[in-house]
Amino acid sequence: MNLATQITHGISAEIYKYKRTFTFWLIVIAPAFIPIINFLILWRRGSDIIPEGRNAWEGLMSLSLNPANFLFPFFIIMIALLVNNIEYNANTWKLIYSQTLSRFTVYTSKMKVFVLMLFISLMLFATFTILVGFSMRFANPGLGFEESFDFSLIYALYLKTFLCTLGMASIQFWISQHWKNLILPLGVGIGGVISFLIVSQGWKYAIYHPYGYHILGTGGLTPENPSIWANMDHVYYSLGVALAMFTLAGIEQTRKRII
Amino acid sequence: MSQPIIQAKNLDFYFKDFKALDQVNINVPQGSIYGFLGPNGAGKTTTIRILLDLFRASTGEISVFGKSLKTDRDEILGRVGALIENPSIYKHLSGRQNLEVVRRMAGVGKRRIDDVLEIVRLKDNADKKVKNYSLGMCQRLGLASALLTDPDLLILDEPTNGLDPSGIIEMRELIKTLNKDHDKTIFLSSHLLSEIEKVATDVAIIDQGKILYEGKLEGLKSGNDIQELRIELNDSTKALALIQGMNFTISDSNTHYIELPIESREDIARINKALVEEGIDIYQLKTSSENLESVFLNLTNRLDQ
Repeated sequence: MNLATQITHGISAEIYKYKRTFTFWLIVIAPAFIPIINFLILWRRGSDIIPEGRNAWEGLMSLSLNPANFLFPFFIIMIALLVNNIEYNANTWKLIYSQTLSRFTVYTSKMKVFVLMLFISLMLFATFTILVGFSMRFANPGLGFEESFDFSLIYALYLKTFLCTLGMASIQFWISQHWKNLILPLGVGIGGVISFLIVSQGWKYAIYHPYGYHILGTGGLTPENPSIWANMDHVYYSLGVALAMFTLAGIEQTRKRII
Repeated sequence: MSQPIIQAKNLDFYFKDFKALDQVNINVPQGSIYGFLGPNGAGKTTTIRILLDLFRASTGEISVFGKSLKTDRDEILGRVGALIENPSIYKHLSGRQNLEVVRRMAGVGKRRIDDVLEIVRLKDNADKKVKNYSLGMCQRLGLASALLTDPDLLILDEPTNGLDPSGIIEMRELIKTLNKDHDKTIFLSSHLLSEIEKVATDVAIIDQGKILYEGKLEGLKSGNDIQELRIELNDSTKALALIQGMNFTISDSNTHYIELPIESREDIARINKALVEEGIDIYQLKTSSENLESVFLNLTNRLDQ
């Protein structure tokens, strides 16, 4: 088997095992959480939220982005825990690491599926957000959602969120893979999010805090300056951290004693 | 004799400062059911994990199917099926779905799943969630997943652990069938002598990380492997020269006794005859209590406690 075939096999097995799991439903349902609340808000009190004259779609975008930026790290923490804990729980590290696939392949498959899960969730979130806007055309007409809008902007925004959170995702992934413990990754994750919120109040090095790249990276967007890709610093920091952490986690996994 | 399927040489393994394996040598003949026997904590599972490249030995070399585990790991593991300790099973999936996960990794055809379910007699319960399986069914499912790639070698770690008597019998029959009808070489670990005795053709005994015996099961039972002979006599100087002249090595002696390693009962007779013919008085001939049969028995006692 060449490497590409190996990884295809690895990924296909990895995806299959989430059949009928909480993880699977979390990926699909969690991205609907904020859009559902936004739907209710816009439906009942849309005219308070979106003042006349403001572009309704842009209003919806900022209505979605802030809670998403706050909640998405917790989603990452949970997914990182779940994809590793499924093996700890079922005693299956020894099963998957004694197959004919190389350790590198097995690790890479899991890592890729984890990253894919985060990506899918964010893209679903973007889609649900757009659906909320469309539904307002019927549920609460007159808010301005009848106007056309460049939806690629919404997808681009969450693509950037995805890239900016890969750094912290890689840290959470490594911790959850290394320790069987459930509390530790949770603690580190929550600590990471909160410590960013604290240091971002004024510490000048806060821009390097991996748990805040997505907030800083998507924060400066205004209707006047909607250029999502203008400042790429945090994307690069995040990708740098991700590269380092995923590599370290991979090296560890190829050398580690598998219990 | 053909080349052994598994050949491990001088394996050492440490858990921090604790030496878990001490110069372990293993030779598993092709077509055998190789019983790997030892009390809990003797190093059985550690050895098995090393054979599957889950642990890496500090020193020593392993070849499987004549290839080095270091360089040909993926290929070797493709021909090995393993069941290690407590079964590795995703409880939210059905038996069939569990096999599907492994099947996708191994890249074998879908039909194989039905074949292995048939072999382990789980077909009727294949679509039940594993949550509802008995321990015996879980073990059989583990075995099924080990069989998916149609491996030449099966490594089974305590497959009867925790099973009830009928489960044990069933597993035993399954192992025999796999060996006979499906031509699998089987490496089987257990802490139960009675289990190994009933199925194994070859056996190794491990205790405290050291291999105490390796060979045919009959060899262990025959009692021909007396290791040490102690002779009490009146003139040890004269006797020493005589015995050394017969090409034996003396391990210990003083004025009234001599101890030496021997290979068979016949050696005792030969030495006795020679000494008597030289006019030496013999007061006692005693074979050492540390012969292999008693190692086996001592181990049994310890295991039974």
